[in-house]
Amino acid sequence: MSLIEVKAKGKTYLVATDRRYTESDEWALLESSGVIRVGITDYAQKELKDIVAVELPEIGRIVKKGEEIGVIDSVKATSPYYAPISGKIISVNKELEKSPELLNKDPYGAGWIVVIEPTSINEYETLLKPEEYAEKLKKK
Amino acid sequence: MYELYKRIPLLDFYIERLRAEPGFFGDWEVPMRYTSAIEEHLTIRTSVGFFDVSHMGRVLLRGPDVVPFIQYVYTRDLSRVKVGFMSGPTLALTELARVKDDEMLYKISDEDWLLVLNALAREKMLKYFKHIIEERKFKVEIYDLTEKYSMLAIQGPRSIEILDDLGAKWAVDLKPLEFRLNEEIAGVKIYLISRSGWTGEDGFEIWGEHGEIKRLLEVMLSKGIKPAGLIARDTLRIEMGFVLGDHEYGEDPSKFPCAVSLRYGMSAISWGKRGFIGEEALRTCRREGVKWIRVGLKISRDAGRLFPRKDSSVYVEDVYIGWVTSGCYSPVLNRGIAMAYIDSKYAILGEEVEVDIRGKRYLAKIVDFPFIKK
Repeated sequence: MSLIEVKAKGKTYLVATDRRYTESDEWALLESSGVIRVGITDYAQKELKDIVAVELPEIGRIVKKGEEIGVIDSVKATSPYYAPISGKIISVNKELEKSPELLNKDPYGAGWIVVIEPTSINEYETLLKPEEYAEKLKKK
Repeated sequence: MYELYKRIPLLDFYIERLRAEPGFFGDWEVPMRYTSAIEEHLTIRTSVGFFDVSHMGRVLLRGPDVVPFIQYVYTRDLSRVKVGFMSGPTLALTELARVKDDEMLYKISDEDWLLVLNALAREKMLKYFKHIIEERKFKVEIYDLTEKYSMLAIQGPRSIEILDDLGAKWAVDLKPLEFRLNEEIAGVKIYLISRSGWTGEDGFEIWGEHGEIKRLLEVMLSKGIKPAGLIARDTLRIEMGFVLGDHEYGEDPSKFPCAVSLRYGMSAISWGKRGFIGEEALRTCRREGVKWIRVGLKISRDAGRLFPRKDSSVYVEDVYIGWVTSGCYSPVLNRGIAMAYIDSKYAILGEEVEVDIRGKRYLAKIVDFPFIKK
């Protein structure tokens, strides 16, 4: 996984080049088996900081692109996260129940949140490319 | 010029020098966080940190009728406060015995008292004081010092060491609640220093002109003091079971029970005292007993670090028994904690209840305050 460094708001944010992004700061990684792994971006975790809990959706739930699938609690704020793609939730990261700080420590790796089996892979192509997301960050 | 919001005077210094993340508390822009709220919280509990609390209202009351005036406004007996000492916290009530604000008083002399108000209540209280003074013809003048001085709160078990390091031995010898005016620390002129500790830790409050406070901060930062923001301040007060306006108390009787239910503690109400605003309703509430009572809820570890937010419902079996007023993740206990008003019939310490966290119910135990041992 290679990373782009983006400087914005006096800080540095990392963007992984092997995946796609949403306007609402989730990433989506197309895996070789055709499923999509989902998490929040380095920018999102830096904004939230102090993450204390992650609410995970039920396995088997059918979600639509843009639908709220859970929330992330930081010390004083609750922020929803959204499905980047339509499909079925086939796996959730149970480790986050014990160690929600993984979202802060490793947002693009061990801090993944769910895996979605997409209804149509075409939707993946409509997500933001890493360079496009990096541009968005610069404007924040 | 019309201002939509105010910023605390040293905000830019905190942003540039200490990378503060600013945010809004009411109409005040203040440092919300510097590094991590959890780290800042633990620093205050185990070491020493500072908060800039210049958004809090500060007022000088002056005149021959100050004592009758404050005796009329507040629930605590302030007739025997010693000169050079703080008294409080105490409560200003409405006629229906709901709480307008909780405040601290400082007695400079019989005719000169300082008052610290909550930021969100400042304008309301200033209007209210003027109204009472006119109506009752009290000879009291009010000077708003809020924007004249910055105010720091130095908090944590190592507060003393910091002041000692700065050569202010006399400050270390201040008794709890004692204060002094017009002193000097490390060559910096300060208007007031007091010793209290509203995070539950030992601590000092320092007021001074903005430039002087900035100079003092530079010296203290070189001695290793760490900044803490408003998020940590909130989680610290919740761990201690300290109340906040619009959460645990407020004036609206349809939202907030009477002040007896608040169980404020710390002798905020002197039952032996007569003739203060709201007394009649307060005594009625006391005689009749309370329908609601404020308790602590320790959330089960099954919820991980989840915690209920304001207005979440509390249940026993299928019965609704009350609502949450504040909740947070407790860095010391490593679990969710909350304050709630529950029906007094169900307020049995140690009993298990259920609390709603976003549509799911989790077990919680009814506990007394503070949540942590002090």
